[in-house]
Amino acid sequence: MIGTKQDALIEITQLVKQYVMGRETVTVLKGVSLSVYPGDFVAIVGPSGSGKSTMMNVIGCLDTPTDGSYKLDGTEVRGLSDNKLADIRNKKIGFIFQGFHLLPKLTALENCELPLIYRGLPAKQRREMAMTALEQVGLGERVHHRPSELSGGQQQRVAIARALATNPPILLADEPTGALDMKTGQEVLSLIEELNRKGHTIVLITHDMDVAKRAGRTVVMRDGELTETVGRRETHEAQPRLPDGVQERLVEQA
Amino acid sequence: MKLSQGFRMAFKSVWSNKLRTALSMLGILIGVATVIALVGMGQGSKNQVEQQVASLGTNSLSVTITGRGTATSLSLEDALALADISNIEAVAPTVSGNATVKYEKTSTDVTVEGITGHYETVNDFSVQSGRYIAPVDVRNTQKVALIGVDTATELFGSDDPVGEVIAVNGSRFTIVGLLESKGSSLTGSNDEKILIPITTAQKMFDSVGVRSISIKVEDLDRMDQTVAALEASLLETFRGDDSSYRVFNQEDAVETLNSVNETMNTMLLYVAAITLVVGGIGVMNIMLVSVTERTREIGIRKSLGAKRRDILFQFLVEAVVISGIGGALGIGAGFLGSEAIGIANGTDTSVPPQTVAIAFVFSAVVGVVFGIFPANKASRLKPVDALRHD
Repeated sequence: MIGTKQDALIEITQLVKQYVMGRETVTVLKGVSLSVYPGDFVAIVGPSGSGKSTMMNVIGCLDTPTDGSYKLDGTEVRGLSDNKLADIRNKKIGFIFQGFHLLPKLTALENCELPLIYRGLPAKQRREMAMTALEQVGLGERVHHRPSELSGGQQQRVAIARALATNPPILLADEPTGALDMKTGQEVLSLIEELNRKGHTIVLITHDMDVAKRAGRTVVMRDGELTETVGRRETHEAQPRLPDGVQERLVEQA
Repeated sequence: MKLSQGFRMAFKSVWSNKLRTALSMLGILIGVATVIALVGMGQGSKNQVEQQVASLGTNSLSVTITGRGTATSLSLEDALALADISNIEAVAPTVSGNATVKYEKTSTDVTVEGITGHYETVNDFSVQSGRYIAPVDVRNTQKVALIGVDTATELFGSDDPVGEVIAVNGSRFTIVGLLESKGSSLTGSNDEKILIPITTAQKMFDSVGVRSISIKVEDLDRMDQTVAALEASLLETFRGDDSSYRVFNQEDAVETLNSVNETMNTMLLYVAAITLVVGGIGVMNIMLVSVTERTREIGIRKSLGAKRRDILFQFLVEAVVISGIGGALGIGAGFLGSEAIGIANGTDTSVPPQTVAIAFVFSAVVGVVFGIFPANKASRLKPVDALRHD
């Protein structure tokens, strides 16, 4: 199985997720295992319905697993209370959603301050941290604009800034380019890559192989099962990127 | 999350939905305004009743003779004899009827009461100029009259009526005194009447006995014994026929009036309370809509680390802000309303400060009570479901 190194940031072992739909029980994740180490840039690829969204919800602590184990930064997440999960989401995970998920009535700065409000920080410190994050994504000039006054790319950058504001160990991106055109999508991906180079651990969920290519490591989700690309299980740290041909084939399979 | 931050968030959200906030506030506003206005009105009318009662004096009794014919009527002598009962200070028998009064070319219909001189003490009703009806007037069936201020103004304008001669049902009467102004009491206007000697009235209205007697009691504490003695005496006079007379205690009347007043006020307050509850349901309705509408917002907030109590608090504070502002505006509207009612009805209204405080606190409590359900609903949403909602 996947290595059980002590310093794994995300360590998922034999994770099962079932939903009850009417009288039937649907198993979405069928014993998935995955380890993510600090500094990783992992892409989870799969067609729609493969269970990758459920995977992302579980990793993001938005949903709880039915069975198996999920250790985040050394803490077992399964069985934690709602409050504890909220705390983990606040401190450990920065979300980047496909639809940006910014609050329309708040300005860019206020949106970035929101997770810091829930952390209970004083106003001055909040402002500084949010400003720093916005400057990091190149939006230092437009902090007092509302989402409706920003372009799609800028909105996604605000969302990334919001995710960065709390300095979380993991950035969780769910189809970050899904709602953007080619060019701005590329810009956002470059930004994510840059963040990875600066040391942020990134988990990216996508169905687009071109997007997945940008990641240092790709895992394929299909029918509730996860396949690590060949030769990666033992040597993922040593090998930065697969030959393109292998990934191309994976896309065709997916 | 800090308290002040929560309030700022709630105000922002409430402010950004002005129309909806205003409409849901309206229910609470009307409720609180109704409470304030009704309490103000109730207090006003209670004060008024108390004033009237004070002017009547609680130490008086009245006896009404309901029987007809010689066997069941009370002669003037019998009536005056009631003064012998212990604790009775004075007895004022009256015979009354309506008559047309004419002076030169002006005429008007008034109540004419035949009285004795004791009427002055018993009813606390004196003259401002001239003299009162004297015993000699009664004995000699004199055609003299006292005139009420309103009637005097009607017949004589601003001229002094004392010494003038008027025609009462065609008979000539000399006005010997102008009564003081007393206003209206429970039995009608006191200023639109003419008082003449009782013997004269008996002749004029062709009445054998007296129809009613006002009695003044010395000691209020012995009222019950006095009433009992009075009834015993009357029962003897009427030879056991207790259906021919009625003894009426002024105090009882006051109590009855007050309790009627009280019942009315309590009923109105219930109505007002129901209005407030309906207002609260309005707030709950709006908050529920708001929760559904903002499901995605709740999801986003939760994904960013909002705990259940943060969301609960946010929506609860919003509900309290809506109902609290509604309550505050309602207090203002209630004050204006009670003033307006006071002016329209010509009565006094007064709003006690504790009512204002209670109404405001109550409206805030309504916010909490009716906010809990939607807020709880919002806080229980699973982040994954809430985020998916659109």
